[in-house]
Amino acid sequence: MALTLGRGDRKGATVTFEHASKYYGASPGPSPAVDDLSLQVEPGEVCVLVGPSGCGKTTSLKMVNRLVEPSSGRVLIDGTDVAAVDAVSLRRSVGYVIQQVGLFPHQTVAENVGTVPKLLGWPRARINARIDELMDLVGLDPDQMRNRYPAQLSGGERQRVGLARAMAAEPPVMLMDEPFAAVDPLVRERLQDELLRIQRQLGTTVLFVTHDINEALKMGTRVAVMEQGGHLAQYSPPAEILARPATEYVARFVGADRALKSLALRTLGQMDLEARRGSAEIQDQSISLGADQTVRDALSALLAAGRAEGPVFGSDGRFLGFFTLDALVKSFVREPESSGNST
Amino acid sequence: MNFLIGVGAWLVGPAHWQGGDGIPVRVMEHLSMSVAAWAVALCLALPLGLFLGHTGRGGGVAINVANIARAIPSLAVLSLSLPLAFGLGLGLGFWPTVIALVPLGIPPILINTYTAIRSVDKDIVEAARGMGMDGWQVLRQAEVPTGAPVILTGLRTAAVTIVATATLGAIVASGGLGRYLVDGLARQDETRLFVGALLVAILAMLTEGAFAWLGKAVVSPGLQQAGRHDQEPWMMWTG
Amino acid sequence: MNPGEPLIRWDWVWAHTSDIGQRVAEHCVLAGIAVLFGFLLAFGLAILIRQQPLTYEPITWVAGVIYTVPSLALFALLIPFTGLSLMTAEIGLIGYTQVILVRNIVSGLRSVAPDIREAAIGMGCTSQQLLWRVELPLALPIIVAGLRVTTVSTIGLTTVTALIGQGGLGFLILDGIQRFFSTPLLVGAFLSVLLAIGADLLLVFVERLSSPWKRAIV
Repeated sequence: MALTLGRGDRKGATVTFEHASKYYGASPGPSPAVDDLSLQVEPGEVCVLVGPSGCGKTTSLKMVNRLVEPSSGRVLIDGTDVAAVDAVSLRRSVGYVIQQVGLFPHQTVAENVGTVPKLLGWPRARINARIDELMDLVGLDPDQMRNRYPAQLSGGERQRVGLARAMAAEPPVMLMDEPFAAVDPLVRERLQDELLRIQRQLGTTVLFVTHDINEALKMGTRVAVMEQGGHLAQYSPPAEILARPATEYVARFVGADRALKSLALRTLGQMDLEARRGSAEIQDQSISLGADQTVRDALSALLAAGRAEGPVFGSDGRFLGFFTLDALVKSFVREPESSGNST
Repeated sequence: MNFLIGVGAWLVGPAHWQGGDGIPVRVMEHLSMSVAAWAVALCLALPLGLFLGHTGRGGGVAINVANIARAIPSLAVLSLSLPLAFGLGLGLGFWPTVIALVPLGIPPILINTYTAIRSVDKDIVEAARGMGMDGWQVLRQAEVPTGAPVILTGLRTAAVTIVATATLGAIVASGGLGRYLVDGLARQDETRLFVGALLVAILAMLTEGAFAWLGKAVVSPGLQQAGRHDQEPWMMWTG
Repeated sequence: MNPGEPLIRWDWVWAHTSDIGQRVAEHCVLAGIAVLFGFLLAFGLAILIRQQPLTYEPITWVAGVIYTVPSLALFALLIPFTGLSLMTAEIGLIGYTQVILVRNIVSGLRSVAPDIREAAIGMGCTSQQLLWRVELPLALPIIVAGLRVTTVSTIGLTTVTALIGQGGLGFLILDGIQRFFSTPLLVGAFLSVLLAIGADLLLVFVERLSSPWKRAIV
């Protein structure tokens, strides 16, 4: 049975785990790798599986493209049980990116990116056009990079090629297993931003595995916090995880600074701003904030300048009002579970 | 010095370039025995090595083959092939030599192919499977091209070993360049001996060179960048 | 080989035990000298490469060329200069050991992890102390592996020296071929293999004794 996922409208697919469990060795052993996992990822969402090593997040991910078969339960893509689909054709329609990238060292960047279209038997011209399009999308200059070999790339460039390769056949679902864990922090941040941009642009459904809670909160539409023994502790939007951790374990996992972390999930544009003073006074302010800045960055700027407030401007340069420490504190009192991420 | 002049004179003597004992005929004999034995060894060992490497089975078998094969002296293999060739009615000379050379070519090809496929980066294989390659495609598009440098080294070692040992075939009355050596020893004709040795050495080095060239032509530049490829599992393996 | 004759005539074997014993002894001496001096030479070259890394390429190139030349041809090339002598046989056999031994010793020394090397230097080891107290002990397994391969193939190769008038088990094999008599041929081949396997096991034993820290993880 062939899989015809989301072709045509090219939007993301729905991914559903139904009581999926995985036992290794004598089943059901004392500690399963994945324990009765049920969750649904809606089309176009980024679902981040986060937890310490050995919590079964990677195993769960691999159930989707059948690199791991569940011991019990099932995984559905758009309502179709993946076990009923031929594993090879399933994998060709599900993008897959791993930490070590696994680029083919004997192939050029272009050949690597064109792997899946070639497996699918696309005509040469269409493959070539797609390669250029993808390289542009992930921020690699095709003319410069097309004929390079993986050995000639930096770590960040390799991840970009891996991302392009995974997206080549316009998969409705992408699986990403700690894709940015091996690159340095600056490059990681840029890659995260670009992945989010591309994901929003294409509407692909993404399942993303990481052990880094900050990355999870940044990337996830919803975050699945998993604990030792393959057990799902909480599955919620990031702001809710920070505001209302479901268990003691989740609270400890997100850290004592969870209120601070939540600041990174909101932009100044989403805050109540005070528009009390005239624009004349604004000229005197030595500090100016942008509406698309996160509250965390804005707070940091205020503290660095030794001030309790600062003017906020829209992207068109229009004055929107003042961001004040007072208003910030009130936003927590009034609305501790602030639905920050739902833009 | 006189000796070397003698060698030079022998080499340019027109008598040594024609007839059944002439240099061209001996070279052709040498090459035909070697190519035949190498081709048979290739057909036997390469598919087996690919299969064992891809499935991950038979590692212990491979180690034992390597260890035992290395311990058996080529002279003994050659002599043991005599009764076999006699039994099959193949006579002296060409066939006993070919039969003796085949087992010498198998271990380097088998071991290097097995090791090459086994040592392909696991991430590459997982990425290939994750993108929807079936077993055959993983082998053909990921494992073989990535392992090509080591596989080719095995083919080269087998070829050089076979060309070298074909020399000993003259002891069991085959043709080839070994004739000059064995006859030279028997007649105490040091010039003939030296010329024969020189020609065999050149032939072996040309074989080596041909495979080095083949490696450059066949192996992806992406792998040649990565570094030197003088790894030789066949030489390093001890199990 | 002659019709109706058994492959092995045990009566011949029993009648020639002392002769066979002598051939085994000769074989051991021929191969032993080659491995011993081959190892000393290779060790010296490896130390030279350690001090002067630029010499690695030319040394391994020359060793590789020697290795490529067929054994009988190498002996033959030496005969005009050193005659049908023990010297000829040993130069050839030692020459063949170099490729594997030098490469193994060098890669063994280089395999020592940079952090271990750095720690040793940080504690004040001189270059010599680093070599003898850190690099060599840690490289020992790889060095012994190379020594095992070399020993086994040298024992096999030693049979060829019978063609240039040396003794050893090759003498029995050659005798069998020339007389169309399979018994000495098989005895020679079998004992040569046995000798190689025995030497290999002996080196495994030595390796176990000399690197006790590896036993914990095996």
